[in-house]
Amino acid sequence: MTTTESPLPVPAVALRSEEEIAARVKALEAIMIEKGIMTTEAVDRLAGIYENEVGPHLGAKVIAKAWTDPEFRERLLADGTAACEELGIGGMQGEDMTAVENTDTVHNVITCTLCSCYPWPVLGLPPNWYKAPAYRSRIVREPRKVLREDFGLDIPESVEIRVWDSSAELRYFVLPRRPEGTEDLPEDQLAELVTRDSMIGVGRPLHPGAA
Amino acid sequence: MSGREDIEQLLVQLPHQEEIRPEGGEVSFGTAWEIRAFALAVAAHQNGQYDWPDFQHALSTAIRTWEDAGTKEPWRYYDRWLEALESLLASTGTLDPSEVDDRAHVVLTTPRDASHHRARLEPVAVDAARV
Repeated sequence: MTTTESPLPVPAVALRSEEEIAARVKALEAIMIEKGIMTTEAVDRLAGIYENEVGPHLGAKVIAKAWTDPEFRERLLADGTAACEELGIGGMQGEDMTAVENTDTVHNVITCTLCSCYPWPVLGLPPNWYKAPAYRSRIVREPRKVLREDFGLDIPESVEIRVWDSSAELRYFVLPRRPEGTEDLPEDQLAELVTRDSMIGVGRPLHPGAA
Repeated sequence: MSGREDIEQLLVQLPHQEEIRPEGGEVSFGTAWEIRAFALAVAAHQNGQYDWPDFQHALSTAIRTWEDAGTKEPWRYYDRWLEALESLLASTGTLDPSEVDDRAHVVLTTPRDASHHRARLEPVAVDAARV
């Protein structure tokens, strides 16, 4: 395009709902990939550079608050959706969210066995491996092994592993354990320690100094 | 392999920097589809589909067209971004806009997680402690 006033072939459209525009982007992506305009890998890589900036930091706020405010923690475990709403977090793909808490004796990990249901408002976009059939089936069959071999997360034999299956109706995320040595940290600094993977259950929060 | 620096080089050439960097420095997105739309435009450019100034021009035009229309719709930068991408690909004959309409309709009318609407209230698997 070289002229400044070239007519555009796409007519102006009425404002689309979030659902409509998300569907349109998905459709465009599928067509562009089919036509060889670019590859899935390229789009994923580019999106990956920024995707940590949507979502996980919101989930991290929720976790940090639960670590510092016992009453909020109670409310979060009782009704994840309502507790997130207190912090202004909610919306599409987060209609019903439940937090499952890691303890000395239980480690939780989330998946979606059928597709890629995921609590977007708190975790942002699902990583590609979360959507891959390999993770979705193996994490159910041999969670301890997958965590160790695929994610380098060694869960002691003394700890039970629970795998939670998110669906369109109910989406899980993990409330990880607060790292040791963080007693004096304020909430905003604690939030920086909370990683996306720790809220999926395939990683641990960072330690202070590593953030 | 293009990293963040390469993308920043592309972004600084675009209009409405305050929309791209609402926090005044860092590139930021409000929703998942915005990131996706963003990545599509950059990926197509990096794959040689168009020169970046062409996208820049398409985006400016989409924004101006919207402004001139005096619509009462709320302003959303990435709506214009998506329009720019579609119109640019259409202008080069790479894409037929009705194709996108049709496909978007299919996406919308396919029940998401068609078989996965029941909440599962118990763990789907438990690997018990062994010690």
